[in-house]
Amino acid sequence: MEMILMGLCVAVFGMGVAAVAFGAATRSVSSDSVVQPQLPLVKAAAPARFFSDRAAVTPTVPSVTPRQVPIEVLLLQIENHVRMEQAAAEVFIAFPSQAHLHSKTASPFVN
Amino acid sequence: MTYELLNGLSSAEAEQVLRLGTRLMVPAGTELFRLGDPADRLFLTERGRIRLTMPMQIRGREEDIFVEEMAPGQTVGWSALIPPYRFTLTAIASLHEARVIALPREALQGYFVANPAAGYKIALNLAVVIGHRLQLSQTMWVREMQRTVEVRSA
Repeated sequence: MEMILMGLCVAVFGMGVAAVAFGAATRSVSSDSVVQPQLPLVKAAAPARFFSDRAAVTPTVPSVTPRQVPIEVLLLQIENHVRMEQAAAEVFIAFPSQAHLHSKTASPFVN
Repeated sequence: MTYELLNGLSSAEAEQVLRLGTRLMVPAGTELFRLGDPADRLFLTERGRIRLTMPMQIRGREEDIFVEEMAPGQTVGWSALIPPYRFTLTAIASLHEARVIALPREALQGYFVANPAAGYKIALNLAVVIGHRLQLSQTMWVREMQRTVEVRSA
């Protein structure tokens, strides 16, 4: 007798679970069938950068983002970059050529 | 001490020009002039270094960005001789105290009128200084543009 009652309880519980699952499944189907409005694809806004957006291409260490560089360090980087560019420009003025004009810089500011 | 602005002048002529000016001591970190100021004096750097800067917005804050540094013998503030007679950069003494010779525009112009041969040499020297700055600026600008083009077309 106890076995029959236990079996009955398990059967009733199983039917309940099946009913809940069926309801959930039909609800998700109906919401999927609703036509979603077409949203324009918007490119994620890139953080503001100085001179170059090469930083977006090259992978960066997550813990050191440009935002976290102290302003004094950034100003020093800019100054070093300007000095290196000036030196490159001086070479071009002394020996004008296409190669000297667009010689690659080793400045870490743009590399 | 030789000054680029006085190249080609006899020592007597150079002495006459230098006598038109006054020596100024500029303590380290002190402004000699600021962008937008009326430019009525031209400066010859005698000792120390003068940093030339321009303002730039960085993280919503205006910062003076390094443009160029002038060494002893070089000319600072040629806007004093070129209309509209306004400085287009800010000049600050670098890490150490600087000493400059300030030459008033009116005194220089008076000297040019009285000594046209020397005035012509100074004008040529000034053209060399300005021409060099122009060449530097346009070369640096094209290099930056080239990098921008490479990044955009990548």
